[in-house]
Amino acid sequence: MSAREPEFAIADTCFLIDWARYRHRDVLFKLFKTVFVPETILREVKSENTIAWIASNLAKGRLTLYTETADVVSEATSIVEASKRSPHLISVELPEAVCLAVGRRRGYVVLTENRGLILFSSISSDYRDVAIWRALEVIAMASLKELLEIECSDLEARFKEYEEDTKHLFPRRDLSRVVEVLRVELCRSR
Amino acid sequence: MRATVKLEDLEEAREIRRRYANWDYIRKQPPRIRVALEYYVETGDLYVASRIAGVTIEEFNELRIKAGIPNVC
Repeated sequence: MSAREPEFAIADTCFLIDWARYRHRDVLFKLFKTVFVPETILREVKSENTIAWIASNLAKGRLTLYTETADVVSEATSIVEASKRSPHLISVELPEAVCLAVGRRRGYVVLTENRGLILFSSISSDYRDVAIWRALEVIAMASLKELLEIECSDLEARFKEYEEDTKHLFPRRDLSRVVEVLRVELCRSR
Repeated sequence: MRATVKLEDLEEAREIRRRYANWDYIRKQPPRIRVALEYYVETGDLYVASRIAGVTIEEFNELRIKAGIPNVC
């Protein structure tokens, strides 16, 4: 866990659309004061369930619309170009790049499931310090803070629920790593 | 705690998507949707796949789930 508790996050569409299907989705708002969502997200959701969840949380201030400014879009375009220059990288597209640019400028946690963005940020000196979390890290952090109920006899339970609800598979290696952290941090003293 | 991705993870994720995909379902789809689902299996890129299919990201996510393709990340 970082020394300074993050207050704000910005979520890309791929994260939010899967997250909205999770039975414990509202735990996100126990981790962050507000989660910014770029305006483009609203054009990408269609189901009543997701729209209703987003609208009700916008009304409560737990989600906040983020309107992209010209300088952010310009930085995001540079990220896209840089990702396309290297044959060793996966292309990053503009909507996710906007989240990374905002994350760097404002110190927000970037919530994404985009592997291209995660890979790019890990090798780019300008973006290496931006906190990037997938659903895996969000559930892990909520568990560490005991915002989700965790049984030491089944540390994978909350992750399995996410996989069931969203048809999203966590890489086994990453899941094992996170479960080990939970075992050490939470279960040693119980 | 920070998300990390290694290049070798990408091929593993692609193999998982290929293995879980319901190819009979995919082959029965209209051409645009079929090509987009095949693109998603190969790349895992939901945004571009949705643009190929001509639908929103959430609509494409529903197609992904119906086609049995896991989002591996």
